[in-house]
Amino acid sequence: MDNSSPLVLCVDDETVGLRVRQMLLERAGYKVLIAVDGYSGLELFAAHPVDAVVLDYSMPGMHGGQVAEKMRKTKPKVPILLLSAYLDLPAEVTSLADVYMTKGEGAPALLDKLGNLIPNSPHPIRQPK
Amino acid sequence: MEFILFKRTMRQVLLLPVVACLVLAGILVWQISGANATVGLIEQADQRIALATLVEKLVVDEETGLRGYQTTADPRFLQPYHDAEVPMQQAIAQLQSMTRPGQQQLLNQFIQQHQTWHQGFAEPLIATIAAGGHATDVDLNLQGMARMNAMRDSLKAIVSAAEQSRKNRIAQWRLQTRHILFLLIGMALAIGLLIGLFTRVRLKSAYDSFQHQLDLQRQRTQELFESEQHLRTTLASIGDGVIVCDAEGRVQMMNLVAQDLTGWTESEAQNRPLEEVFHIVNEITRQPVENSVVRVQRLKRIVGVSQHTILLRKDGAEISVDDSGAPIRDAAGEITGIVMVFRDITLELKTRAALLANEKLAVAGRLAATIAHEIHNPLDSVANLLYLLQHEPKEEESKQFLQMAHNELARVTQISRAMLSLYRESNAPVSVNLKEMLDDLLLLMQRRFQILGVTVSTDLPPEIAVEGFPAELRQVFTNLIINAAEAAGQGGNVTVRVRPQPDGAASGQAAEAGATVEIMDNGPGISPENRSRIFQPFFTTKGQSGTGLGLWVSQGIIRKHAGTIDIDSRTEGPNHGATARVFLASKPVIHLGGN
Repeated sequence: MDNSSPLVLCVDDETVGLRVRQMLLERAGYKVLIAVDGYSGLELFAAHPVDAVVLDYSMPGMHGGQVAEKMRKTKPKVPILLLSAYLDLPAEVTSLADVYMTKGEGAPALLDKLGNLIPNSPHPIRQPK
Repeated sequence: MEFILFKRTMRQVLLLPVVACLVLAGILVWQISGANATVGLIEQADQRIALATLVEKLVVDEETGLRGYQTTADPRFLQPYHDAEVPMQQAIAQLQSMTRPGQQQLLNQFIQQHQTWHQGFAEPLIATIAAGGHATDVDLNLQGMARMNAMRDSLKAIVSAAEQSRKNRIAQWRLQTRHILFLLIGMALAIGLLIGLFTRVRLKSAYDSFQHQLDLQRQRTQELFESEQHLRTTLASIGDGVIVCDAEGRVQMMNLVAQDLTGWTESEAQNRPLEEVFHIVNEITRQPVENSVVRVQRLKRIVGVSQHTILLRKDGAEISVDDSGAPIRDAAGEITGIVMVFRDITLELKTRAALLANEKLAVAGRLAATIAHEIHNPLDSVANLLYLLQHEPKEEESKQFLQMAHNELARVTQISRAMLSLYRESNAPVSVNLKEMLDDLLLLMQRRFQILGVTVSTDLPPEIAVEGFPAELRQVFTNLIINAAEAAGQGGNVTVRVRPQPDGAASGQAAEAGATVEIMDNGPGISPENRSRIFQPFFTTKGQSGTGLGLWVSQGIIRKHAGTIDIDSRTEGPNHGATARVFLASKPVIHLGGN
């Protein structure tokens, strides 16, 4: 993992899922920051030159829509991938994100969509033998 | 006319003729006594005539005796003369007593003349003859004859006066009788007229009064007829079936709805026993059910709606009905008939069933977000872990990934089971461990609590169980816990606890053994105006997001479980919030169809 690897911020209150997602993205060549709620996510977002955000929608305190709104206000160019366990999110929420996907669609879908969001994304991890 | 007035009139009509006849009789008696007095006077006149005639005869006797003695000088011829003396005195005295003082002139004149004749002529003549002298002197005899004639004239005048008097009095008597006759006719006419007029007036007033009563009666009859028509129309227009029976429960009347629902026409059903026309059985047991009329006959009061009743129509079709009955009483309070009202509740029951199903789905809807989240999150992790495992993991990592995937799948299984248990219902009541059930529910709602920012604390002793239908009880507690969490809001607290409740034997109360589940929140509480309505169907404070059926359905379920549900609320002070308490008996007698 070199210094040119894109930095991705993952925000999710589901700790197990967050850890697995972190491992997956690190294997794929990203540098990953993790936060378990919106507030700490926004702090990390402000403090680091984040290239993309993988944001969970359903979180206590501040939901993904609210977090995305605040992020757009400070750094509008940073792409946001909104993840949700729910199938139907209101349009005003999904329109804040660049990409919206449902949890459980699988790792390749996540990596593809994230790769499309970042211009100089690393190569995807090797295909299974 | 009032009865008292009528009686008075009857009395007047009876008394007036009697009084009038009495007056008439009095007047007649007075008049007749006047006539009688006149008759007495006539008799008196007759007596006077008779006496005067007697005196005349005695005068003749005296003269005859005197003449005979004058001729013969034989004292035997003088006998009539002497014989007449005493009766003459008596007759004169009698005449004197009978003659009114004003009319005694003639009598006194006669007495004078008789005395003059007796002493001045007769006695001297007798003495002369007795002395042997002669009494043939013409002058003397002429004088005696003149005196005798004067006496006779006086007597004639007396008789004539008496006869005149008699004639006058007879005329007077005739006049009197004529008066009486006229009076009688006149008074009879007057009294007859009076009685007739009086009776006519009184009868007219009685007739008017009765005519008035008759008019009133006619008017009332008309009003009664109209009122009956009105009631009949009302009865016919009622949307429920109405059957009227006599006191023995035989059908007397049915409205159109009743005929439609039972399949019997009114004429077919007339006088048949109600059981035949309104044949009802229990929905579940199929046993005949006592109808309202029989219950009214037995209990002698209004009886309410009986539940789970199916009416078997004449054509064999079945409809769900509820019926109620009320006695019809006469003025003395005796039951003279029974009216039964019933209606088709088939659609209502279907609607109710649909509502209950809908509410069950609404509960699922409330949990849908949680379920989606709780299943998709572990699935996402598992999918990602599988991907990692496929891409040359290290040995150590593989083990870790597999363990993590296993844990996540276990989480999905648990959620799935908890969710399914909401809908899988047993046919008979089973033992439900309250801790297990509430833990399952809290797990399903965990995500929702997180989103709402509510902290949940529990006090759930492990071994408390009650008998019941678990899915239904889950529905109740899901409703109560979600209500509490939504009321508590961000930063709020919800406490769920279970307390065992021993039976009332120890405290002397007739309470069943069981458990009380308390769900307490520190939200704003329920306002008093809402407090009385929270168990009503379609009442909600959640706007579009609530069905308004949660507590209504919950109450039905708890009633079916022979339990109680109540909600305490405190809207002021530091301890504000609401507490829902549900008591469930350990061994309840389940009321099927409690909803």
